[in-house]
Amino acid sequence: MTRLACFYVPMFVLAARLRSEPELLNEAVGIVEGNGSNAHIVAATRRARKKGIQPGQSLAQARSLLPKLIARGRDAECERTAQEALLEVAETFSPRVEDAGEGVVFLDVTGMERHFAEDAGSADVPSASDSELRLARAALRACDAISLPARVGIAASKLAARVAAELPKSPIVVAPGEEATFLAPLPLTRLSPELEAAAMLQRFGLSSIGDLAKLPESEIASRLGEVGRELHWAARGIDPRPLMPRPLPPEFREGMELEWPLVALEPFLFIANAALDRLSKRMEIQGFACKRLEFTLTLDPEGYDARGIDLPAPTRDVKTMLTLMRLDLEKTPPGAPVVGFSFVAHPDRPRRAQLSLFGPSAVSPEKLATTIAKLVSILGDGRVGMPMTVDGHLPERYSINVFSPPPPPDMKRTPARARGLLAVRTFRPPIPIEVTTREAEGDDVQIASIRSIADSAPPSPAPNARNRIEAGAKVEIGGTVRICSGPWRIEEGWWSDRPDIREYWDVELERGGVYRVFRGGATEWFVDARYEM
Amino acid sequence: MAVLARRLATQFQLLEAPTILKPAISPQIVESGEGEALRKLRATLEASIASKLTSGSELVRAVARQRRDEILSTTIPPLDALLGGGLARGKMTEIAGRGTRFSIVIATLAAATSIGEAAALIDASDSFDPQLAEAAGVDLRRLLWVRPQTMKETVTAAEMTGATGFQLVIIDMGSRRPPGRRVPDAAWVRLARVAESHGATILVSAPYALTGTTSEAMILAHAPRTRWLGRGNAPRVLAGVETKLKLEKHRRLRPGQTTTVFFQCEEAVGSAQSSVLAVPTADTRQPAARAKAS
Repeated sequence: MTRLACFYVPMFVLAARLRSEPELLNEAVGIVEGNGSNAHIVAATRRARKKGIQPGQSLAQARSLLPKLIARGRDAECERTAQEALLEVAETFSPRVEDAGEGVVFLDVTGMERHFAEDAGSADVPSASDSELRLARAALRACDAISLPARVGIAASKLAARVAAELPKSPIVVAPGEEATFLAPLPLTRLSPELEAAAMLQRFGLSSIGDLAKLPESEIASRLGEVGRELHWAARGIDPRPLMPRPLPPEFREGMELEWPLVALEPFLFIANAALDRLSKRMEIQGFACKRLEFTLTLDPEGYDARGIDLPAPTRDVKTMLTLMRLDLEKTPPGAPVVGFSFVAHPDRPRRAQLSLFGPSAVSPEKLATTIAKLVSILGDGRVGMPMTVDGHLPERYSINVFSPPPPPDMKRTPARARGLLAVRTFRPPIPIEVTTREAEGDDVQIASIRSIADSAPPSPAPNARNRIEAGAKVEIGGTVRICSGPWRIEEGWWSDRPDIREYWDVELERGGVYRVFRGGATEWFVDARYEM
Repeated sequence: MAVLARRLATQFQLLEAPTILKPAISPQIVESGEGEALRKLRATLEASIASKLTSGSELVRAVARQRRDEILSTTIPPLDALLGGGLARGKMTEIAGRGTRFSIVIATLAAATSIGEAAALIDASDSFDPQLAEAAGVDLRRLLWVRPQTMKETVTAAEMTGATGFQLVIIDMGSRRPPGRRVPDAAWVRLARVAESHGATILVSAPYALTGTTSEAMILAHAPRTRWLGRGNAPRVLAGVETKLKLEKHRRLRPGQTTTVFFQCEEAVGSAQSSVLAVPTADTRQPAARAKAS
């Protein structure tokens, strides 16, 4: 027999808002729908209800009863994300989940109770109802973890499960085959509150669901048509329509409409932090991490600002995502006050690695992704990554790629013997110099002295130059050459219009230091490296 | 004076070792369930077999302890000899001076990546040459190249990479003294703690001593001497550079030892005259007298 569970969030509109603003949990809050004189209360917290605030009251009436009432408008974005979060919790219990609207979710839990059976050491044989009760309690805990106060009911039909979930004492499990008995004493409005058919049945003199179930199905169908037949089935605990599972969403969304426009970055990041935290928890439940984060800012009075951040590797680290968001907004501010936002996380599987017991330990992929993302946010693009060699002849060629190390060896290795090569420190970009030459044997030219052109010109004040570490242009090179070796000729791109033809020399200065000098054209001389001294 | 004496007496009382009250019943050592099961199993086996029996958690602990005690060879024998085998894991080592620091850095990167370890190079002067590093034996796939622009970024990047789990983190400050504000000493203390807690080997290469008392060892690289192939009017080729290294400070070894290492130029590899110089030469000398402890 099919077993269905229903997750029901009472006062969903209020619960969704409090999920986004948990600091209002213990305050007298009313959720308002409509504008101006049409504004009326649709839900209120317990503290407000104790003061007499009821759904349906106008905002003016509510204010007269409780002047300090905190009024919040209905937020479609909050409600949508809360519903998504509820569905994702349901998906952790069953792959077949149906979205039944505001704060209601049905899921097929047939056979799932086996995962919640008592441990093997227990003397008593656990019954299916006990296991289902444990499943329902676990579901309640999971809903609490996402800050949604849900109720859970389990039965063989959707109606019975929903009615069980709506009862205040949660969780309730309706034993298999007992659905009709469970529903019998309930009023007919429970069957389908929005249908007029229920009111008509009441006019026939039927007061409870049990009264309807006792009548013959054909008689009801002949008087009320297909709707009557479906109501009769529901009254007997049979679902007229099967569960319709929803497809898995391709992305995770969180968002909020703000009460007042934000003009500063810090308050926005404060709110964004909470939203990203919720997003991260939802992805964690599904075993995903964020590969790309898109966010859309709703601007005042109108307009949107849509952006996207590609993360170096899938991560769920809120701090990293927030840092990247901060840097992006600081770089290009939206230019108008922000009255709402929406975050969309594109999920991807986080990187996994098998750790080695005897070989070198591998770097945790998740930690690595977070670190690289933070470093990129601090240092900028192109300053962090894996160095790569490039085919060619020019010595300064290089490229930088995404760092993704191969797994370490399983067993310990002995380090390879060093080649003992002399390193060079490359100057990026090459430093222009003035050179005096002297003639040598043949057509070769030998360098007599060098002097960096930057020496003669006054140093240009660079922004934040006080804290900059050595830059190529600031290196002072000059002096008489003691030993000169060269030239070696390099030619690259001979097939192009402007081939790169260079002549290289190694020069040792009297005052110390060995430099690599090259002539790029007829009169252009540069130093591109210094031998490690 | 009497007042002073009383004060001193009070201070001395405070300095005395406190009396520890011994409990009437000695606390019983509580073993975990796993340990008890292992003990029971050992009791049922012969002594020769029982001694070889170990639990998974004991093995993991032993492996972790062994890794902590390990050293990372720089694959430069004279330098390894100077440091008592190599760079200590979980410690910070510094090389300062005008000598061939960058060549040592490249050789250490080659050593670490050749055994499959992940290494990070914090290249503050942006002077790393991937072509040369690959020729020197560095496995570039296992190397994270970070190019910060300020001292603060440099130390931050080193701390972050060390805490991430990189087995080797090298900070290279370039060939000039970093201008501007210096980072506070607390930054180096934090870096040393990161190395200690994550078992990372941190090597700091700077023209001037930066780490102070926080490093395990400090080596001073003296100004190098160049060697050229060819004399007179013959064409010249740079053969390499020789530098003298001195152990300035070490927490476990006697300081003052010196050695000379030679690094050859890539173009001179294989030449008849340079082949004798191809391998770094060991010239470890003991100091005439041990430096007086200050």
